[in-house]
Amino acid sequence: MAPSRATTRLATALLRQTTQPKLRRPSPSSTLPRTYHSYDHPPPPGVFSPAEKAILSAAYKHVPEHGFTQHALTLGARDAGYLDISTNLLPEGPFSLIRYHLVTKREALAPWAKAVFGEGEQGAAAAPLKVPEKVERLTWERLLSNAEVNHRWQEASPALAVMAQPSHIPASLQELALLADEIYFLSGDKSVDPSWYTKRGSLSVIYASSELFMTNDRSPGYGETRAFLQRRLDETSTVSGTLGSVAQWVGFTASAGLNVLRSKGIRI
Amino acid sequence: MSLPRIKTCAVRQTLQSPLRDFLLPALSQPTRRQFLSTTTKNNATVSSTPSPSTDPSRSQPKRKPLTQEQRDFLSSALRVNQAGELAATLIYTAQTPPLVNAHPHLRPLMAHMYAQEEGHFNTFNSLIAKHRVRPTALYPLWSVLATGLGWSTAVMGREAAMACTEAVETEIGDHYNNQIRTLLEMFEQWETEGYEVGKELQDLITTLRRIRDEELEHLDHAVDNDAKKAEPHWLLTGVIRLGCRGAIWVSERIEQTQITDL
Ligand SMILES: [Fe+2]
Ligand SMILES: [Fe+2]
Repeated sequence: MAPSRATTRLATALLRQTTQPKLRRPSPSSTLPRTYHSYDHPPPPGVFSPAEKAILSAAYKHVPEHGFTQHALTLGARDAGYLDISTNLLPEGPFSLIRYHLVTKREALAPWAKAVFGEGEQGAAAAPLKVPEKVERLTWERLLSNAEVNHRWQEASPALAVMAQPSHIPASLQELALLADEIYFLSGDKSVDPSWYTKRGSLSVIYASSELFMTNDRSPGYGETRAFLQRRLDETSTVSGTLGSVAQWVGFTASAGLNVLRSKGIRI
Repeated sequence: MSLPRIKTCAVRQTLQSPLRDFLLPALSQPTRRQFLSTTTKNNATVSSTPSPSTDPSRSQPKRKPLTQEQRDFLSSALRVNQAGELAATLIYTAQTPPLVNAHPHLRPLMAHMYAQEEGHFNTFNSLIAKHRVRPTALYPLWSVLATGLGWSTAVMGREAAMACTEAVETEIGDHYNNQIRTLLEMFEQWETEGYEVGKELQDLITTLRRIRDEELEHLDHAVDNDAKKAEPHWLLTGVIRLGCRGAIWVSERIEQTQITDL
């Protein structure tokens, strides 16, 4: 990780923003959270239209060589049989390629989990893995799916280059939140108390820092990244336990406090 | 991409009404209300294994995707209900010891009502997990408020504790009825367009009706146990009902927007 470089970029980004005209906002439909998952009504339309998908999937093949750039988009449009001008369909420019990467890799986790954990998403009895183990496996799988664009990721990483476009931050964070939620859902975690927030929050931070670590990792099979990931997960299982209990403490104390006082013989 | 906008005004309207009601003086009389249906005490069941298993093989073609507005309504409804039932379990938990110490004959009634609230809370917890709805973020706040309300009314005496139940259940009964009405409007709209209503939503409305009826049963118990004799009844129930509306309002609006607006 190179914090000095990141800081410089952030500074230039902020400078640039003051001199630039109003930045384009991401389309609202794609940043809305996926609330209420229905099992027997059809899913809502996806993030990308068929035309966008055609261009983006073709352009994505050029990312390893040309990065998440306008150039890759133009090449992709040509491959998909569109005029160069059709990249106007994608008002967010190269960021739509980044988003395509984030969305498709996240969506690939569900079939992967089904194949590897050998169960439906609701969690059958067949799997001996516990929730934290599944979280680790899923997070690692998601990191590995960055491999082919890893060398291009540092320049495209939500934590770095996207900061050059503050208007993209909400969409990037939203994607990060959706990823953390997806991982916990696929792991079969059912908690809906305050730990829902601490779990997803800490996984988001762990994922983002592991991703940054990975861009500088030259070890075979990204072994050091996996070790990094596992250390962070181990640390937070204790820390978030503490955080979670602080949140719960506030709530339970009122109720538990009464009971403690009662147990001390105070008649209330 | 624009989201299809079909008859979402109905959803909106229903969501607005608590705000309107909130501003109206709530200190007036009505506490017993006529509701659409009631169950007898005997067939009120405690369900802790609520959400019926989903059946993915039964995918019918004639179902409409939920609009963003409909999904927002459903997730907000489940979240508010989770918060409300959490509060209900804590109110009874806090009320029971002082109340039962002074009036041992109330022990079975309190245990029965608590068991039902716990069943409701479990029902919404598992619906929230199943449908991937973000749970209430104000868990600690609701915990503190509900425990405070339960304990303070219980030490005020049997009548005040019962007046608390009366006030809370009146508001909650209305609240569930609003949700049921919105769902029925949604179903009606689909059916006039020739679409089918999925089983999971039909089950949801059945669950909401059952729980609504159990809440009204609690209201009856409270009135039977001299809730009306609490002094000053009008002030106590008025304040508690305003508090309930405020809590529902916060849950529906503040909680709905905080992450969407990120
Ligand atoms: Fe209840
Ligand atoms: Fe109740």
